[in-house]
Amino acid sequence: MPGDQNIWGHEGEYPCTPPEKPPTEPGKNPQREPGSPATPQTPHRVQGRTRESMESIKELGASPVPEVKSNIHCLTIVGQIEGHLVLPPQNKATKYEHIIPQLVALEQSPDVEGVLVVLNTVGGDVEAGLAIAEMIASLSKPTVSIVLGGGHSIGVPIAVAAQYSFIAETASMTIHPIRLNGLVIGVPQTYEYLDKMQDRVVRFVTQHSRISEASFRDLMFRTGELARDIGTVLIGREAVEKGLIDEVGGVGRAVNKLKSMIEDWKKGVPLQ
Amino acid sequence: MILYTPMQLELVLEGLEQMKHVSTRKVDVDGVPVLIQDTGPGEGMVVRILSTDPRDYLRTDLYPGAVVELFKCT
Repeated sequence: MPGDQNIWGHEGEYPCTPPEKPPTEPGKNPQREPGSPATPQTPHRVQGRTRESMESIKELGASPVPEVKSNIHCLTIVGQIEGHLVLPPQNKATKYEHIIPQLVALEQSPDVEGVLVVLNTVGGDVEAGLAIAEMIASLSKPTVSIVLGGGHSIGVPIAVAAQYSFIAETASMTIHPIRLNGLVIGVPQTYEYLDKMQDRVVRFVTQHSRISEASFRDLMFRTGELARDIGTVLIGREAVEKGLIDEVGGVGRAVNKLKSMIEDWKKGVPLQ
Repeated sequence: MILYTPMQLELVLEGLEQMKHVSTRKVDVDGVPVLIQDTGPGEGMVVRILSTDPRDYLRTDLYPGAVVELFKCT
């Protein structure tokens, strides 16, 4: 009889609903064998869900279309890039301890042929941001980044880490010096430490984009552009003119570029 | 930790002192070790994946913040 098992309408909404079938047969070890894949991998990344298809046929009279997964993986970097400290919950945060192994999986997975990095970030931790940027830069697969909304501060190295970068017409990138927060000891070493940290960012950006070190430092230490800070905001085309980003464009152009890069990569054309 | 952000640090770090350490525990979901935080009867929120298999990090049902039903766990 419908509804006598679950008064909450949908199956599974009530948290204590027992499973209709146990997820694993009793006596069978749920731990998978070492080395064996979690799910059987099919070359076209089709996810077939037999039980749900049967339910769908019974309930709706239609079977769901098998979901064919894309050969492009979309990696979104949003909000603050969380470092070694968990930020208070009002922050939207990108967790590096999840992104870094994910990039390893993308490098290793035969189904993923290209990575699209979508950025809308306000920066965050220097170490975590540079770690993600280095991981993206060292991928052997085609990578394209697109800055939408904002790619500020430590978002700049992540945006330029990809082999080809796009920026939306209205997106902005803030380039400003690194500051120390917390207790600061007033000794020359503090300044030198900060300067070293800044050099890491400057070196990475200048190595992975067309901008020169002098030009990037000039943007970083410019006064009179930001109300509360020194530095510059580059909007859309300005970032391309300065050589930081390769092209102005949206998602359509970024995906097309990635597709053509994948074609070249398959033919054996070396990535730039 | 050096935060490199144009956002005001007072806004970013607001409430840091009041943040409590949430208790987490390790469970296995389909053989994948994950750290979860209990959110209600029979369910928990994924805080972190502890697996060393990179493929587990591409699973959409085990992202940090995803709610898992604990009857699937061991």
